[in-house]
Amino acid sequence: MTDPSDDLERRFRAALPYTDDGDCPPADDYWAAAAGELPFERVRALVDHGATCARCAEAWRILADVRRGAAEAGAGVSDAPPIRSLVSGAAARAPLRTRTLLPLALSAMAALGLWVVLRPPPVRPPPVERGNAMGETVRAESPEVQPARDAVLRWSEVPGASSYNVTVLTPDLVVVHQAVGVSGREFRLPEAVRQRAAGTGLLWNVDAVLPDGRTVASPTFEVRLGAGP
Amino acid sequence: MTPTRGGDAGSQDPDPDSIQRIRQVLIRAVERHCPPALAAHREDLVQMSLLRLLERPRGEGSAPRGASYLWRVAYTVVIDEIRRFRRQQRQTEQLPGDERGTPGPEARSELLECIGMLQDRRRTAVTLHLQGFRTGEVAAALGWTEKQAENLVYRGLADLRACLEGGNT
Repeated sequence: MTDPSDDLERRFRAALPYTDDGDCPPADDYWAAAAGELPFERVRALVDHGATCARCAEAWRILADVRRGAAEAGAGVSDAPPIRSLVSGAAARAPLRTRTLLPLALSAMAALGLWVVLRPPPVRPPPVERGNAMGETVRAESPEVQPARDAVLRWSEVPGASSYNVTVLTPDLVVVHQAVGVSGREFRLPEAVRQRAAGTGLLWNVDAVLPDGRTVASPTFEVRLGAGP
Repeated sequence: MTPTRGGDAGSQDPDPDSIQRIRQVLIRAVERHCPPALAAHREDLVQMSLLRLLERPRGEGSAPRGASYLWRVAYTVVIDEIRRFRRQQRQTEQLPGDERGTPGPEARSELLECIGMLQDRRRTAVTLHLQGFRTGEVAAALGWTEKQAENLVYRGLADLRACLEGGNT
């Protein structure tokens, strides 16, 4: 369809300057753009930014790969024209049917409007920012290498925390244990977990639960368990 | 007494096959598109991103919101993680050489100036094309038919080449 443009692609990528990413749009905007969720003017602005910023150009290229991966995995991502263009095309081709469906559409919009007005406010989960907290941070206080028979995870205190939630994962991110509402600042690994992980490593993290429901999250730590019981 | 949820707690998370597939795609994408100094950390970057994805509150990114939502979240967390990684590098003044410098000003300005001179629609189509988007993907992003996108990319590339050869756009 187009002339070979590998050379242009290469030159384009090489020409982009690395700038401070302070003004870069959120990554989710890029996804929304590729998914056809944004108006043309907004997509154009995002694309234009990507033509002045190597980091965002990189984000665009990663986006193309990820969306293709999702499409291949059957995750409902496709490059079919978005709904907005299909709707406008259909409307142009079938005005009679549109007129017939108009009362039904108006009723549906009225019902939707009523629901929007009367629905209860959404319950949002408390914000969590792992390992990025500007104020207090949670540090691991237990050794990184421990005997399997007596492995204990310890962490620093978060002032005001009413309890802690501990998550233990394998290095390939399978959750093997979660302890919720731990009152102290240590957690002894259950025997089943110790046996499973003996001689290998585990990842773990802690969420400190504050009285108002907010959560202060730790970075993810590693612990290696010695072989044997 | 400490209440615990053990063993099967992971069953509420996205299924391992999906995560594994996402991990492979992310690692490959970072490897392909990031500078070598950053791509060398691809395993760590993707690992941290998937951890963040899995740490999100229950209900986000799981089946009720659709499989594509999980990919969307995975993409956003990996880009955030890359940005965070670079900020940390800058703070510690260990920015690798291949990111500190930019190409020669003549080559840079010529190509980017020519792109900037293209008509709006052609410029947007061509830029997405140069970012690696296929025609169908350009069409999907911009609400065009695939034929429209193909035409605009084709004409835009022709304008761009003409500009680079000293002609008019």
